[in-house]
Amino acid sequence: MNRTSRLTPYLYVAPLVLLMAFVFGYPLVRIFEFSFKMVRGIDGPWIGLRNYQLVLGQDLFWESVLHNLQLLLAIPVMVVVSLFVAILLYERVAGWKLYRIIVFVPFVLAIPIIAVVMKRMFQFSGPVNEVLRWLSLDFMALDWIGSSEVALWTVMILIIWRESALGIILFLARMMSLDESVIEAAKLEGANWWQRARYIILPQMRGVIEFFVVVSTITMLSAVFAYVYVIGGGRGGPGTATVVVEFYIFNALIRTSLPGIASAASVMLFLVSVLLIFPLFRARRRAALDEATR
Amino acid sequence: MTDKKAWDLSRRELMKMGLALGAGSALGGVLPGSARAQQLTMDWWWWGEQELPGLQKVVDGAVAAYKEATIKPMLQDTAVVISQFQTAAAAGNAPDIQYLWNGIYHMESVWFGYLRGLKELVKPEILTASTPTALSNFGGDTYRVGWYPLPMMWIYNKKLFEQAKLDPNAPPKTWEELLTACEALKTAGIEPLGGGIQDGYWSEWYISHSLPQNLDTIGEAVELFIGDKDFRDPKYHEHWTKLEELKTKGYLNADMSSLELYPGIDLVPAGKLAMGQSIGTRLPADLKTANGEVGVMTMPVFGKGKLAGIPLLDVQGLGISSNAEDPKAAAAFLEFLNAPEQLKAFWDATGWIPSNTTFDTSVITDATVRSMWETWGLGKNISNVTNVMPGQFYERAAIPTGQQIVQGSMTGEQAGELAAATAKEWREFNPDLVENYQKWVVDLSAG
Repeated sequence: MNRTSRLTPYLYVAPLVLLMAFVFGYPLVRIFEFSFKMVRGIDGPWIGLRNYQLVLGQDLFWESVLHNLQLLLAIPVMVVVSLFVAILLYERVAGWKLYRIIVFVPFVLAIPIIAVVMKRMFQFSGPVNEVLRWLSLDFMALDWIGSSEVALWTVMILIIWRESALGIILFLARMMSLDESVIEAAKLEGANWWQRARYIILPQMRGVIEFFVVVSTITMLSAVFAYVYVIGGGRGGPGTATVVVEFYIFNALIRTSLPGIASAASVMLFLVSVLLIFPLFRARRRAALDEATR
Repeated sequence: MTDKKAWDLSRRELMKMGLALGAGSALGGVLPGSARAQQLTMDWWWWGEQELPGLQKVVDGAVAAYKEATIKPMLQDTAVVISQFQTAAAAGNAPDIQYLWNGIYHMESVWFGYLRGLKELVKPEILTASTPTALSNFGGDTYRVGWYPLPMMWIYNKKLFEQAKLDPNAPPKTWEELLTACEALKTAGIEPLGGGIQDGYWSEWYISHSLPQNLDTIGEAVELFIGDKDFRDPKYHEHWTKLEELKTKGYLNADMSSLELYPGIDLVPAGKLAMGQSIGTRLPADLKTANGEVGVMTMPVFGKGKLAGIPLLDVQGLGISSNAEDPKAAAAFLEFLNAPEQLKAFWDATGWIPSNTTFDTSVITDATVRSMWETWGLGKNISNVTNVMPGQFYERAAIPTGQQIVQGSMTGEQAGELAAATAKEWREFNPDLVENYQKWVVDLSAG
């Protein structure tokens, strides 16, 4: 192969690489740069690690991190709910095709829309509490979005409801590709619903479950802004009860005119997300391998 | 399909066109200003339709009526009113005329050098009549022309007052009278006071009404942020202690924490809540909803500062950017907006009062609205103190403290501690802004 032909493939991809570098690389470099500057307007003086010191020394930042970590508790629930519903649908209960569409609807709707509806539902004098009071369950009629102790859990309920839809579809798609003869054989051998799920279906689902867990982890750490923005009244409230790292960044950038601080927090969030991308790729490989070796 | 022939021009035709253009330009130099100005185009970025429906009509009407220049208006999104302007200004592309919220929301742009002082550009009588408020002053200059006012007040439902055997024409004036009224209302099975604090604005408004009660000047509030005064001093967190008192005595509506500001205000004209905070722009509609049974009042007095009990007036305004190509032309447009016929057009389009003390109030048919404007707009008033708050303080202390006190998880004293800690944190994050705030105190203490 001569020199020109060795370069040819690179020349073909070069325009796209340059475009990607411009679209993603340039902003990334600027964010890293801003994180070391006291930015006022569109630039500012170099201040070394001061922004990082200020961010890491602020209680609110750590409170935000803690809230993100709390949201991780939703993942096991999402996995269980998604698996349960997916297996039910896989059993082809009457009308399963319709149910499959219905359960996916929350994922198709924009988060702000469902969050606004959910917020109305969970108001102190809203439908959820009205029903609870009607059922004489007054002790359960909490101030779902107005109490600092409850608000983050309300956000979590909404996240579980919506994000589980993705899990259901992913899991169901994987199940549809399983060898049905094995499951039929198990049925003939007298295996009940739980035994079939536990010993036949689940072991073959490991790859896709891992994939869903990693994607959900990334979501909980860096893609829940829309949920907390709406449920938290646009403030991460009540108080600071629903402030997450994304919201912290938004506030620093938009509301308090501190692009340097926002950039420092963004860089840290970016690095954590990058670390999570490796297990994501591994999970994707495993899912693909499962599929191929079936 | 494009007809290529139609685009083909001979050299002779091109020369003719060039000559015509050249002659046009030359004539422009000798034609009267009004004819020449047709060529001047100015950008106007504005906001406000979101809080004052009908403003779009005002803008469209003014742009169409103005013959001295072509004005290109652009309605901004709420989230980017400041950042969009500052980014454009830093890049040298700011609009000629910019909508400006009051206080720090435009003062930061003044400090960055993005806005022009107006004292040399706008006629003094127009500038004064537009009531830009003291918060637009810095270094002896004024940076905004007032556009529309936002009187801030408490409202009460007269029918509910009657039901509780309270005088509907004598709302409480002192804190003791307020507590007595709340008790009477509570006894009558009526939720006495509150609104909705879920989105945080109620917290802000509460501070607007209550913090000045222990201040002698707005500049004193700025001293709290720059560290010359301390929120831990009981005098400076007494307003939060009073809110705590209302909470512990059960005078706030039960669903206050889960309601947003405007649905919370709706409760008063709807007859579900006796008293609440509101804003003048809502008054005509609220009076209609309640068949005129809504009254206005200032926050009952508990403090001993010189600003206690004085009506509160915020004003939205317009300014001229440093990038304006022809600042005098921009100033002329701002003066045009304050011409009597434009003030009348403003009223006709919005049903609300423009910010100008020369506005003919005889067009206001509702006696309550006119009386409110005469007291809040034309009488002695003070600016909104929350507009001098640094954004960081606003988000971290002003909003959360109110929310936490209302839900019962914070005391007034703890709120003072959080506020002091946040002010200190702000100084660490913004050493450069502290310097400007120190200079601003001089203007605000004078006003």
